[in-house]
Amino acid sequence: MFLPTVPEGVVWAILLLPVASLLIVSFVTKPYPKLSGYVTIAAIGTAFLFALWTLDSVIDSDGHALAFGTYQWLEVGTTNPILRQLGGPSLSIDVGLRIDGLSSIMLVVVTSVSLLVQVYSQGYMEGDTGYSRYFAWMSLFTAAMIGLLVMNSILMVYVFWELVGLGSYLLIGFWFQKKSAGDAAKKAFLTTRLGDIGFLLAVLLIWTKTNTFNIPLIQEMAQHGQITDTVITLFALGIFAGAVGKSAQFPLHAWLPDAMEGPTPVSALIHAATMVAAGVYLVARMYPVFQVSDEALKTVAYVGAFTAIFAASIGLVVTDIKRVLAYSTISQLGYMMLALGTGGYVAAIFHLFTHAFFKALLFLGSGSVNHATGTFDMRKMGGLRKYMPITYATFVVGSLSLAGVVPFAGFWSKDEILDEAWADDKLLFAVAMAVVFMTAFYSFRAIFLTFHGEYKGGEPPEHGSHDAHAGAPHESPWVMVLPLLILAVPATLAGFVNLPSHSTRALAHLLEGALPASSVEALHHAHFVTGVAIASSLLAFAGIGLAYAIYEAKAISAASLQKMWGPVHTLVARKYYMDDLYEGLIVREGLYNFATRIGQWIDTNIIDGAVNGAGALAKRAGDTLRWVQSGSVQAYGTVGFAGLIAASFLMLVLLER
Amino acid sequence: MNDLNLDYTLFIPEYFLAGLVVLLVVLDLYVTQVKKSWLSYIAAAGLAATAGVSLCWIDKQSNFARIVAIDNYTTYFRVFFMATGAIVCLASGKLVEDKLRHPGEFFALVILSTIGAIGMAASRELMTAYLSLELLSFSLYILVSFEKFDLRSNEAGIKYLLLGAFASAFFLYGMSLIYGVTGSTYYSDISANLSQGTDKFEWALLMGLVLMITGLGFKVAAVPFHMWTPDAYEGAPVAITAYLSTTSKAAGFALLLRLFSGAFQVVHDDWSWMIAGIAAATMILGNLVALQQHNIKRLMAYSSIGQVGYMLMGIAGLSHNTASALVLHMTGYMVSNMAIFIVIIAWYNMTGKEEIGDFRGMRERAPLLAGVLAGALFSLAGLPLFAGFVTKFILFQAVTDQGYYWLAAIGVVTSVISLYYYLQVMKQAFVIKPDEGDEALLPVPLLMNGMAAALMLGVFYVGLYPQQLFDAIDNATGFLFV
Repeated sequence: MFLPTVPEGVVWAILLLPVASLLIVSFVTKPYPKLSGYVTIAAIGTAFLFALWTLDSVIDSDGHALAFGTYQWLEVGTTNPILRQLGGPSLSIDVGLRIDGLSSIMLVVVTSVSLLVQVYSQGYMEGDTGYSRYFAWMSLFTAAMIGLLVMNSILMVYVFWELVGLGSYLLIGFWFQKKSAGDAAKKAFLTTRLGDIGFLLAVLLIWTKTNTFNIPLIQEMAQHGQITDTVITLFALGIFAGAVGKSAQFPLHAWLPDAMEGPTPVSALIHAATMVAAGVYLVARMYPVFQVSDEALKTVAYVGAFTAIFAASIGLVVTDIKRVLAYSTISQLGYMMLALGTGGYVAAIFHLFTHAFFKALLFLGSGSVNHATGTFDMRKMGGLRKYMPITYATFVVGSLSLAGVVPFAGFWSKDEILDEAWADDKLLFAVAMAVVFMTAFYSFRAIFLTFHGEYKGGEPPEHGSHDAHAGAPHESPWVMVLPLLILAVPATLAGFVNLPSHSTRALAHLLEGALPASSVEALHHAHFVTGVAIASSLLAFAGIGLAYAIYEAKAISAASLQKMWGPVHTLVARKYYMDDLYEGLIVREGLYNFATRIGQWIDTNIIDGAVNGAGALAKRAGDTLRWVQSGSVQAYGTVGFAGLIAASFLMLVLLER
Repeated sequence: MNDLNLDYTLFIPEYFLAGLVVLLVVLDLYVTQVKKSWLSYIAAAGLAATAGVSLCWIDKQSNFARIVAIDNYTTYFRVFFMATGAIVCLASGKLVEDKLRHPGEFFALVILSTIGAIGMAASRELMTAYLSLELLSFSLYILVSFEKFDLRSNEAGIKYLLLGAFASAFFLYGMSLIYGVTGSTYYSDISANLSQGTDKFEWALLMGLVLMITGLGFKVAAVPFHMWTPDAYEGAPVAITAYLSTTSKAAGFALLLRLFSGAFQVVHDDWSWMIAGIAAATMILGNLVALQQHNIKRLMAYSSIGQVGYMLMGIAGLSHNTASALVLHMTGYMVSNMAIFIVIIAWYNMTGKEEIGDFRGMRERAPLLAGVLAGALFSLAGLPLFAGFVTKFILFQAVTDQGYYWLAAIGVVTSVISLYYYLQVMKQAFVIKPDEGDEALLPVPLLMNGMAAALMLGVFYVGLYPQQLFDAIDNATGFLFV
């Protein structure tokens, strides 16, 4: 539009700038914290400008991929003369860029939110002993996230996907001296990697079946029926398993609320705007493949819908403001998955786009509140409206957007999802509508508890480096407030990039350009339904009204409500006992007490048994070897011998002809 | 039989090594002017120089009386084993000085076992392979029990000796059966004879295969023949544990690859299912039991058993690709594993402790070692950037291409489990504070810091740009499938 077509080097620079700042901060500016911060901000700021340039070029190309080269990184099996004659390597790993409507929009979202979060971090992390390390890890994370977006090879996406997980692990556990932070980091890392099992298997499968990792090629092959249905479904479900882990969908959602142990800017960047959205992005990236498999699409839709309502219900009762936002994030990601599953490729990314801004705003707002009060517990806040007017105002903007009130950004994107659900599946639509009500309720419950009423004192700050905040809380410094103000703008206006009339759907135009033509034809284009918009708005207002009635006007007593719903409230407040199930039953009982016990049992008991039986003879004969602990050498030999006999026996049985 | 090639110059690197052995013993015993601490440098320098000499045989395919092949595969493993030996010699210098007697013999035995390991990779005939195997094994029996006055070390040595003898007996018996069936001990003749009589089902052949797999299974510590591993690893001096987990395993696989590709590839269907089963059991059991270990050497023992499981997948679906992938993974594993052991040795030298819990405070007290430990553990767990991801991925992909989807799936799942126990180790090193009064920086010797850093660079090299390394390996394994 305004600039010449972006050269390939500039796009690579978007990826390499944060890598450079990682290296500079780690090896050069580590002793100078302030400088580390500036270096990182300069790198990501430049990356943001380049991302805008890239978007500009993609707009010129109507969202179609820009023509960039592909470079070979590793070729396996070319020295094999037979394969060389057949003309193909056994494994070839290429690196190349895929810049189209989808990835360029995501690039702008990631770099802009990242930039604002870094600026904000200067205030939030001020005086922390690990200030430089913080910016180093932030650079690592941002680089990995950008890599995930721009790569055109599913294997490379997987590589960066894992690095994003590593960055998240390092940042959640940033205050590793805090036991809860270390545990949360480990939980996040391991839980998301459970999902990655599926992703990696899908990657292995797709090479074996198609001999390529190239995403556009896989899309073409899937669309033209060159891959069998079973393989496509398995592949899509494997990819989706990875997405379930990263995007905290049920049943791998439990790590995200715990991840709030990390510094709040980290939560805003990673656990609201970017990394958790990577799952949605990945499904969207592979959308032409999903389109071919109804089973996969249905799975995506139902897992998303269940997650949306499940997480929203927990959001109704938690008392920690960051956890309210965490559950809200899980719920909104479920919404996006629901949209993808019902054919709403554009709607999902549209919601991802608006959500990134308003959720980052809300998280940074909660961090600002924490900066003033030293706590995340809403029961210890209240009345902050007076002391922190800017934080309050921007938080309300974010919440209005989240609740889906006209004309804030969230309304437009959420409405598009509802239209898709309405057109596709009425059950999913009903679930989505219920979630609208719950979302409005919990977001305004948070506002009334935090900002209205009387101030209840707060607590000493979460990291010891700050002076204790004596007396009244105060507004945060300008480096923290400015990002809030800036984010409030897209949180309000971002919806206008894709208004529901044909000529104004700029975003949809770009996003559809990223798909192969056959895939665009198969997209179903749900139309704006006025009734749906009105109904959802009414539900949102009802939710806000109920929150007002309970927490502001006190017309309904929260305590008596709790009593009335006693067992249900406990069930929800304990997060449906999912954490107990995972940590208590599956990890502790299942993995530790059961599986490893079985391993141990095989390792020790069978040996002891063998000692008592076959070893009895050896014991009598082997007095000279007594001093070798409990004759276990004979036992080890016996086990080996038993293994041999078993193997020979199996061979006799299996190979009998 | 007169046209046999009897070119003794092919063994020049081994002559060098044997000379080095004599030199070290003589220096230790009779030349009092030489400080004992120099012996480790002399041994390492000799190994490194010989590795350089052995590069002269690149691309010069030859053989000695058909029993030993000198090709790029042999050359690769010559360099591999000499490098590992040199690292172990350097790393054990202080350990030997402080805790052990007779440093000359110690290093001499390490070098002798290196000769054995090279022989295992180079042999193309069963008797030679067996002799090389025993040369390696006997050196190791002594090394494991080298801490003369330590009961655990003695116990480990005797256990290792007894079970090793057990395994050798199986291997010999298997060999004799194979000889009975095919009338030859030469790999190529065995293969030729087997390819003729395929319609007749030979029990003796199969029993021979089972017995040989059992014997080699003991050597590389595959389930259910792994029982000796944790005890031997725990009791051995820590540098020897490092040596056991790299050279001894790698030599076992070098032999397995040469033998099964050279002699038994024609009857692949008859044995592949058995190796596949062993691989699956090894991956699962090794990784699960590792979860419960408290001693770092036992943990590394089970972790190495898990790694053996991954490598066995490559034998199960044996092809040129899986062979290359296996050797690449083994190389990446060697570098990562050595990095971890350097950290363990340095830490043990300074604190005398080897429980995982004793790693607490490493971040404060020896930051570089802690960083290397983290990186190397991430590598073993298979995270990108580090060696473990690339090598595992190529291996899994090669195995998948051979149709063993289920094996690859088990590999992927157990990799995730392995991350769990590696993170437990990191938690001690990074999260837990050092004890009161124990917070001071430790004086890590420059040599240890340097080796740890160099190995870490190796981990990144394999992880980021392994093309040349892979091509070298692929070229080397090509000689197995001519």
